[in-house]
Formats: sequence, structure tokens, C-alpha cells
Amino acid sequence: MFHWLEKNPFFFTVVLFVVIAFAGLVEILPNFAESSRPIVGKKPYTMLELAGRNVYIKDNCMSCHSQLIRPFKSETDRYGSYSLSGEYAYDRPFLWSSKRTGPDLHRVGNYRSTDWHENHMKDPQAIVAGSIMPKYPWHFTNSADIATAFDEAVTVMKVFGVPYNKEGNPTVPATFSEAKAEMIAEAKEIAKDMKDPGVKAALENGDIKEIVALIAYLNSLK
Amino acid sequence: METIREIQGYAYFGMTVVFVIALYGYIVYLYKGKKRGMDYEKYSNLALHDDLNDQILEARNDEEKDSSK
Amino acid sequence: MQQSTAVSYDYTVARWFTYTTIAFGIIGMLVGVIIALQLAFPALNGIAGEYSSFGRLRPLHTNGIIYGFTLSGIWASWYYISQRVLKVSLNEYPFLKLISKLHFAVYFVIMLLAVVTLWMGISTSKEYIQLEWPIDILVVVAWVLWGISIFGAIGVRREKTIYISLWYFIATFLAIAMLYIFNNLAVPTAFVSEGVGAWYHSVSLYAGTNDALVQWWFGHNAVAFIFTSGIIALIYYFLPKESGQPVFSYKLSLYSFWSLMFVYLWAGGHHLIYSTVPDWMQTFGSVFSVVLILPSWGTAINMLLTMKGQWQQIAENPIIKLMILASTFYMFSTLEGPIQAIKSVNALAHFTDWIVGHVHDGVLGWVAFMIMAALYHMAPRLFKREIYSKKLVDIQFWIQTVGIVLYFTSMWIAGITQGLMWRATDQFGNLAYSFIDTVNALHPYYAIRGLGGLLYLIGFFIFSYNMYKTMTVGKELTEEPANKTPMSA
Ligand code: HEC
Repeated sequence: MFHWLEKNPFFFTVVLFVVIAFAGLVEILPNFAESSRPIVGKKPYTMLELAGRNVYIKDNCMSCHSQLIRPFKSETDRYGSYSLSGEYAYDRPFLWSSKRTGPDLHRVGNYRSTDWHENHMKDPQAIVAGSIMPKYPWHFTNSADIATAFDEAVTVMKVFGVPYNKEGNPTVPATFSEAKAEMIAEAKEIAKDMKDPGVKAALENGDIKEIVALIAYLNSLK
Repeated sequence: METIREIQGYAYFGMTVVFVIALYGYIVYLYKGKKRGMDYEKYSNLALHDDLNDQILEARNDEEKDSSK
Repeated sequence: MQQSTAVSYDYTVARWFTYTTIAFGIIGMLVGVIIALQLAFPALNGIAGEYSSFGRLRPLHTNGIIYGFTLSGIWASWYYISQRVLKVSLNEYPFLKLISKLHFAVYFVIMLLAVVTLWMGISTSKEYIQLEWPIDILVVVAWVLWGISIFGAIGVRREKTIYISLWYFIATFLAIAMLYIFNNLAVPTAFVSEGVGAWYHSVSLYAGTNDALVQWWFGHNAVAFIFTSGIIALIYYFLPKESGQPVFSYKLSLYSFWSLMFVYLWAGGHHLIYSTVPDWMQTFGSVFSVVLILPSWGTAINMLLTMKGQWQQIAENPIIKLMILASTFYMFSTLEGPIQAIKSVNALAHFTDWIVGHVHDGVLGWVAFMIMAALYHMAPRLFKREIYSKKLVDIQFWIQTVGIVLYFTSMWIAGITQGLMWRATDQFGNLAYSFIDTVNALHPYYAIRGLGGLLYLIGFFIFSYNMYKTMTVGKELTEEPANKTPMSA
């Protein structure tokens, strides 16, 4: 029976492939349609929030922070109501993470504010004694990559039908220069609550620093 | 969606039973191999006698034909 | 059936991969020790600004170890073992030899690009598959080249039956190909939009929960098919060869192979217990993880029993000692894994350092020990010289074993403490600890873990030194040793 296969590597490989692929077919495929539907009222990320999300990915915040509140009392008490599948419908990629060295951030927008984040990102130990989170001074000097964020918004809108420009939802204009103007307007709203003079001055010159985009993203996590 | 779920469930259960039976049958089959004159254990020597000049354990057919020429 | 005696096996590419195994081992482990210490002493994050922060360095550590150190070790062994058990020499087939050299070249370029891009923060965010699409395409090229090498060599083999190790190599090849491609499917933004931003950026084809499913189907099984089947391939060859004992039971190896292949892929769901993926999938993930103990232990027991009646070799031969400890750790972590996959245990263990501990007893104890044993076994054959120092092998063994023990004991305690503190309540049912309390409680264990990692790294430096000396000044051999690897005292 199987022993014959070791003398016939071609069939060996075919059988092996079937055995390996089987789990994927049964497990992965049939559930795709169902779990990707957004919950009612869920809005896509604005372009600025996407830029912030990319900062989050670039500096790999998910190596220490989860975004998945499990259905236990101890977790809902600490972080808020547990996470639902439909809340992640616009998350490409998902950012659940596999390690919680720092607290879960799935609803951090509910209980932390712009100015808190500003101080905390600059120097976590100054805000929370004993914190082991790194300082992120370069978020205050590096510019956010808003061009890529614009590309990304256009892509998800065109390819995956993310409902931008629909009633009440964030907008994605046709050209980058319009998009940039929108992002700067949104950034200015956030910068009102911030103190760092360098960040504010840059914004006046049309340059959005990473920290502003990141805070826009963190505030959107609710 | 519900029917897919159900079919999936039955298919899964069926497959599991089949695999369990197949795998246990397989153990029995392997261990009875000796009676049929099947010596699996000799293949372990593939690792031990692996010099280019070592005797070939079991040549491939086409080469056997070649050498019989 | 006379063969020409003039040809001999060609080890050029096996040697190249041996060098990269050592180089990436040093880099990967060094970065690992740095990030371990950063968790104990966060000021270390600032030593090189942006480029030394924990988040940036961690992917360098994981990718460096998985794709740098481990894959190099597997491929060095592949180009060594495959010729021998198939009884074909690459010298007879210039085409296959060329392919193997190209394989190495493409791989090396990928690794350089990977280091640079990950360090810059260019990442798809998914664990162990962070590289952006242009590099992914190169990865596919490297993989196809390996495929040609595998099936090319098998196509021209002299032995009819393919040996156990090759089954596992083929499994590694197939499974990683399938998983890597599906998990990497993404839309490059520059193709759809005007492309005003970074040209290499892409968005995942899957969103949210689906993305998580595909990711952990990959994540779990990338681990499975590199750290498990890739390394089992090595031990099935090197342990029998080094000890001169045939595998305890070929039948058991057949059996473990097929059942492992069937069960392994199902277990990915255990990464998503209590998440938003459907319940039945989480249950499968945990049930199959428990079933997984059987084939895993089948292999481990097969290895240990191969040494039946030959236990004195463990005292005499440090390479056997490395391999037996590796199999023992394999048993240990394949028992620990399923325990963590039980739903109620997972509720406590998930997101904690216990999981980190589990990964490391597998990787430090099983994977790295096995690869170092393989390199020690191959070195005298590849370089025609004796191992430079047996004493150093012994010293290395003990230092690293202490390192592993410090590592996993501290991570167990840290993880379980963390899990218990997160859920602890006072007499009124309110949470007893703020998050920062749980962070503070871990400090001593993070420091011990850093020390454990440091010891392991020191052991690896000793290994590298020993290998270097072997290659350059080891006593020259006139004849290829049959079994036991010759070592100078
Ligand atoms: C080395 C691990 C680590 C990394 C990397 C990390 N953090 Fe943290 N983070 C922590 C720890 C530990 C805490 C808890 C102590 C504190 O509040 O500083 C924390 C707290 C936070 C909080 C406060 C949450 C709350 O509920 O109080 C926010 C917000 C946060 N981090 C955001 C980030 C962002 C954004 C990044 C990436 C740029 C990041 N963190 C990277 C470890 C980390």
C-alpha cells in the first residue's frame, strides 16, 4: 500500500499534497463569505487613520499589543466589550497580534485622549512609572507617508468595494492633491489638542508628522 | 450558509472516521508485512550504506534492464 | 551494476549553506538576546534610535532564525543527504549543480533584502511573512529552484526507494509552497491607484477574521513544516549515521509520517481560541493539537529507541548527546504545545510569555541542537578535517543546556503569573491589578530569560569558533569517516 509510494516519488508527492491540502479546504474556504461582513454602523478608516495604521505596522506595535478582547469578564472589565468579527471587516491586514506585553488596544480610543498619547509616545516611563514600552521620539520628526495611505484607500475602494464616499462615511477624492488637503484638515483637528511646537509648525507647512497620523488611528479604535 | 455548515459537519465526521480506521488498519497491515515476506526494515540501511560505491539496495527498473544487457 | 569509482559527492553548495547557517545563527541569536534584554531594561531601546527599538528588531530576530539559520541548516543538510541516500552525485549532473548554486545565490540576495527592508520597517505585519511582495516573488523563485533540485535529483536516482528523510524534505517543500502563496496573496497598491506612494506597498487580499484564519493556518504550519518536518528529516539521517545503528523501526517511521501529515494542518486553529473565528474551528484546533502528540512521539520514540543497547555512545560522543537531547526536547515541546491548546489552558496562556517559552524550548532545544549536531557531523566530510575540539563541544553543550533551562523556566513562571494577574479579582469582583502591576511583576523573569539567552548565545559562539577552527586548522583526514565523527580531544 503506502510503501509503494516511496518507490514512486511522483505519486508520493501527489498523495502528500492531497493530505496536506485537505485541512485547508474544509477549514478555510467555507467560512469566508460569512465572517467578512461589517457590523452595522462600522465606518472605513479615513486616509489619515490609514497612514497612522501604517505607522503602527512600521514600528510593529503589534509585537507587544493585541487588538482582540476575548469574551471573559476579566477582559471586558479591563478593556470594554469583547471583539466581534464584523468590527474587523476593514482591517487589511488584521492586527490581533499574538502577544500582550502591553495592554490590548482594540478600544483604546474610548479611554485615552490625544494629549495623553502625545506625552506617552514621547516618553512612556514619564507617564506610567515602570513601563517597558520604548520611547518613540522619531514619530515627532518623521513625516507620515500620506501618499501611500491615499493609494491604499483607493485600492481597497476599487478592488474590495470598501464604501468610501457613501453617506456619512469618510471620503476618498479622485486626486492626491485633494486628498492631501483633506488629510491636513483632519490632522489640524487633532493637532489642536497637541503641544509639540515642531509638529504644529510642520503642519502649518503642509507636513503631517507620524505622531499625528498615529494618534488619529489610535483615537479611531473604539 | 446553514446547509453548508451541516454538510461540512457530516463530511468532517465521516472523514475522521475513515481516517481513524485507515490509520489503524495501516498499523496492522504494516506489522503483518513480515508474513507476506515484506521486509520493511531493510530500508533503514539506505542511510547507513550511502557511499557512492556502496552496494545499491534496490536498483530502479530501467537500470536493471541496462545491466542485464 | 558497476559504478565508476572516479566520481565523488559534490559538497560545494552544502558548504556554502553551512557558512550561512553559522552567520545567520549569530545574527539571529544576537538580536534575540538584545530584544530579550530590552524587555528587562527598556533603556536599551534607545541605543540606535529608530533602528534599535523592540518592534523593528523583533522581525529581524524571528526571520533571521527561521529563514536564515534554520533554512540554511536544512538546505546544507539537503545538499549533503540527498546525494548520499539517492546515490547520485551532483558532479554527474552539471545542470543540477548549476541549479543548486543558483538556489543559494537567490536565497542569499533574499536574505540581504530581508534584513534591510525589515530594519527600515517595510512590513506586511503578518508574523513570519513580513516581506513585501517584490521580495516574495524572489522567494518563490528560490523555492522553485529548490523544487527542481529535489525532483531532479530524485528523477536520476540510483536507489529505487526514497529514504525517510526525503519524505520530510518533500513535505517541507510542498507545504511551505502552498501556505506561503496563499497567505501572501495581496494587491500591490501601485497597480490600482496612481502610485503616488511607495511602489512596494500592498494590501492583504483577506480582511479581519479571514485574514487571521489564513495567517494562523500559515503561521502554525510554517513552524510545523520548517521547525518540525525539516528537522525530522535531519535527525532520521544523522542519528542512524552517526551512531551506526539502523532506525529502530522503519514501520513506525512510515506510520508517524503519514499521520503527522494528516493531523498537522488542522492544528492551526489553536492560535485563535476565544477569538472571533467560528467555534467549531477553535474546537478542531484544540482537538487536533492533542491528537498531534501521537505522531510526534512516534518519531521521538523511534529516535530514542534507535540508541537501544548503545547508550554508552551518549557518554562517548557529544554529537549523539546533542541529538538525543534534541529528541527529548522535541517530545517535551510536543507535549507542552497540545496542553496549551486545551481551551481552558489557552484562556490563561494565550498572549502571555508562556507561549514564548514554548517556542523556545522547541527551537533552542530541538531545532538548533539538531542543526548544530548536523553541522558537526558534516564538517569532517565537507572539509576533510577532524573536528577541532571535542572538549569545546562538551562545554558548549552544558552552557547551552543551562541557558535553555533558565529560559523556559523563567518564561513559564512569567507567563502563568501574567495570566493569573490579568484575571485576578478582589473580594468585590473588581480587577485586582492594573496592567502596569503585571508588567512590574515580570521584571526579574525577563532578566533571567535574558541571561538564559545570553548563555545560549555564548554557546553558539563556541560552536562557531570550533567550526571555524575545524575548517582551517583541524587535523586533515585521508579517508571519509564511516559513522562516528572524528574529533581531536
Ligand atoms: C516592548 C513592548 C511595546 C511596544 C513595542 C509598544 N508598546 Fe505600547 N505599551 C507597552 C506596555 C508595557 C504598556 C503599558 C505601560 C504603559 O502604559 O506605558 C504600553 C501601553 C501603551 C498604551 C496605553 C494603553 C492603555 O490602555 O493605557 C498605548 C496607547 C500604547 N502602548 C501604544 C503603543 C504604540 C502605538 C506602539 C507602537 C508605536 C507601542 N505601544 C509599542 C509595551 C509596548
